[in-house]
Amino acid sequence: MTEAGRRVLVAMSGGVDSSVAAAVLVEAGYEVVGVTMKTFCYSGTGDHGKTCCGLDGIVDARRVADRLGIPHYVFDVEEEFHRDVITDFVHEYAVGRTPNPCVNCNSNTKFRDLLARGTQLGCARIASGHYVRIQHTSGESRLLRGVDRNKDQAYFLWGLPPEILPRLLFPVGELTKGQVRERARELGLVTAEKPESQEICFVPTGNYRDLLERSLRPRHPALEPGRIVLEDGTSVGEHPGYAGFTVGQRKGLGGGYSEPLYVLEIRPAEREVVVGPRERLFSPGMVIGAPHWLTGAPTEGAAVEVQIRHRAPSVPGTVVRSTSEGLELRFVEPQRAVTPGQSAVVFDGDRVLGGGRIDAPVREEIPA
Amino acid sequence: MDPIYLDYAATTPVREEVRSAMDPYLGDVFGNPSSIHRWGRRAQAALEEARSTLAEALGARRREILFVRGGTESDNLAILGRVDADRRAGRPTRVVTTAVEHKAVLDAARAAEADCTVLPVDPGGAVHESALEGALAEGASVLSAMWVNNEVGTVQPMERIVTLAQEYGVPVHTDAVQAVGKIPVHVDRVPVALLSLTGHKLYGPKSAGALFVREGVALAARLHGGSQEGGLRPGTQDVAGAVGLATAVRLAVDEQGEFARTRRALREELEARLRSGIPGLVVHGLEGVRAPHILSIGIPRVDPELLQVSLDMEGLAVSGGSACSSGETSMSHVLEAMLSDGTPPAVVRYSLGRTTSRDDVLRAAEVTLSVVARLTSSARMSGSDVR
Repeated sequence: MTEAGRRVLVAMSGGVDSSVAAAVLVEAGYEVVGVTMKTFCYSGTGDHGKTCCGLDGIVDARRVADRLGIPHYVFDVEEEFHRDVITDFVHEYAVGRTPNPCVNCNSNTKFRDLLARGTQLGCARIASGHYVRIQHTSGESRLLRGVDRNKDQAYFLWGLPPEILPRLLFPVGELTKGQVRERARELGLVTAEKPESQEICFVPTGNYRDLLERSLRPRHPALEPGRIVLEDGTSVGEHPGYAGFTVGQRKGLGGGYSEPLYVLEIRPAEREVVVGPRERLFSPGMVIGAPHWLTGAPTEGAAVEVQIRHRAPSVPGTVVRSTSEGLELRFVEPQRAVTPGQSAVVFDGDRVLGGGRIDAPVREEIPA
Repeated sequence: MDPIYLDYAATTPVREEVRSAMDPYLGDVFGNPSSIHRWGRRAQAALEEARSTLAEALGARRREILFVRGGTESDNLAILGRVDADRRAGRPTRVVTTAVEHKAVLDAARAAEADCTVLPVDPGGAVHESALEGALAEGASVLSAMWVNNEVGTVQPMERIVTLAQEYGVPVHTDAVQAVGKIPVHVDRVPVALLSLTGHKLYGPKSAGALFVREGVALAARLHGGSQEGGLRPGTQDVAGAVGLATAVRLAVDEQGEFARTRRALREELEARLRSGIPGLVVHGLEGVRAPHILSIGIPRVDPELLQVSLDMEGLAVSGGSACSSGETSMSHVLEAMLSDGTPPAVVRYSLGRTTSRDDVLRAAEVTLSVVARLTSSARMSGSDVR
């Protein structure tokens, strides 16, 4: 039997990052167990293995595991993934919001559910190929942005249950993507040159409308035609269903409008998509629902930094209100396209403090 | 600890005698058996020698043996070939089979575009005789019934099935992949019309299989492109594979009695140790006749997926019903058909090979007991529901 604490379960998607994560841990002397999660049914998508999590992902992960001399297993988490990720994804679009399914997967499936299984297999720790760092000091574990700012994935990890942080390892967070590929090449891993996965894993075609049509009841308002209106209510066109829109998206309307129009708001009750000129996209603040903290919640008046979409820099703001139900923030500079459903992640420098889903931007009155 | 392989029903290594018998045909004697020159003639002689050896081991005639690529192809050719032959002759087409067949049979039966009757089985894995008679009375292109079940090891009463089928003039196909070398298989004593077997379950090469087709049983080809194997399996024959298959079958049949006696004793010891250490353990197929080399059990109160993974992590190679690496852990169709509701979903199939020692079996029992004890107590501690 191995020394307790040295056995690590590594989530291997079959991509280069998690392959190298496993390799780094093997080199560090851990007893590594590779796992690929089967998250949804691949038959029926007609698009086998196109993405990282597809069956090709399983095969690639297994080849890498063999190369590294570690065992590899497939865990069927379809039921949990459907319950915690896909159902929420569909619901968010149905109510006119734009979800981040990867956040839900990380908050639930990828770490919590994996850890539950890992514990029964005698694995003290769970690792993944995310570009984030974790510092384990006595008494606390701090989640930090990855060293490679272009690849940093801290935005997607605010929902981790805080009690599991001490058991997590992120071996590639100290590396750049270039270094990761270099390591993979040196080790002769088949995944070394594998392209990035961009799409949502359970929507390999990139067309999520098909999924909504399969999942929502027939003639659900989110997929029924409605009006495109200006903020004053003037109708300027028709749309084929508000679920196809996201705040900040440019909307070509053809004819008559000299300036480009952008989606400002989705009003599901009226099935309306509200559009307006670019300057109307800016909001002075926002409300985040049910915030989740990896450490203590910030107090009212605290100065924080907040990131409101993937790949955007964090911006300074002030906490206006902080309760367990909601967090209201005011930005130092108004921010463009604050999108309901997207994550807002609160940072202190590189450190993730917590986050939540954006409920609504704070709107400025239409100038008279 | 050295790992223990108890998954011989999944596959076996190629035994030394078989490798040396194959060796010349991977090198110097490389001719195409259809060629007229001396290279071709030598290859053809070896191929036909292998056919004779195989036929003799099964009690068949040389021309009744077709070499094909493995058990799945053999099953497909038997079922689809029978249905197609009837269709071409303008006769009604119908397939009768059982709920505990290998997917190669069930899927072929579905693909045959003929009427299909799937017969229920009792908890011992045997078909219900009244249902069988009812189905046979309607006539069929073929009745396909697996001689020894690959997941549980239960033995169909083939003699009785063939006798009944003959009364109704229905040809019987049997998937004997797990039967040859494990129980007596002789096509004269149990006069089936068609019989499928494969090399890699009995220490022969993978992808080398055969189909016995009794003389006079009409079969239509599924592949086209040559006159090899009587036109029923066109394509240049794999002489080395055929020689390897024939050698492996002959050895397995010669050793069958000894294999069965010794493996059964080991299997019973394994079964007894597991039973005494795991409260509520269910042994599958006890109500029926079981082949000597397979033990399938259900273990209560443990997660099936974690059980499989833990056993492998502790160095014990067994199977969770039937081999599958894609993360499926749902109950197999075989166990669904055989078992009553409420049977534990965590299933382990141990299958013993000719080299399995008493030490292997004792260690396998020990590993299983310790893993089950750990998973049971951690499930209890976390209060988690076992799916």
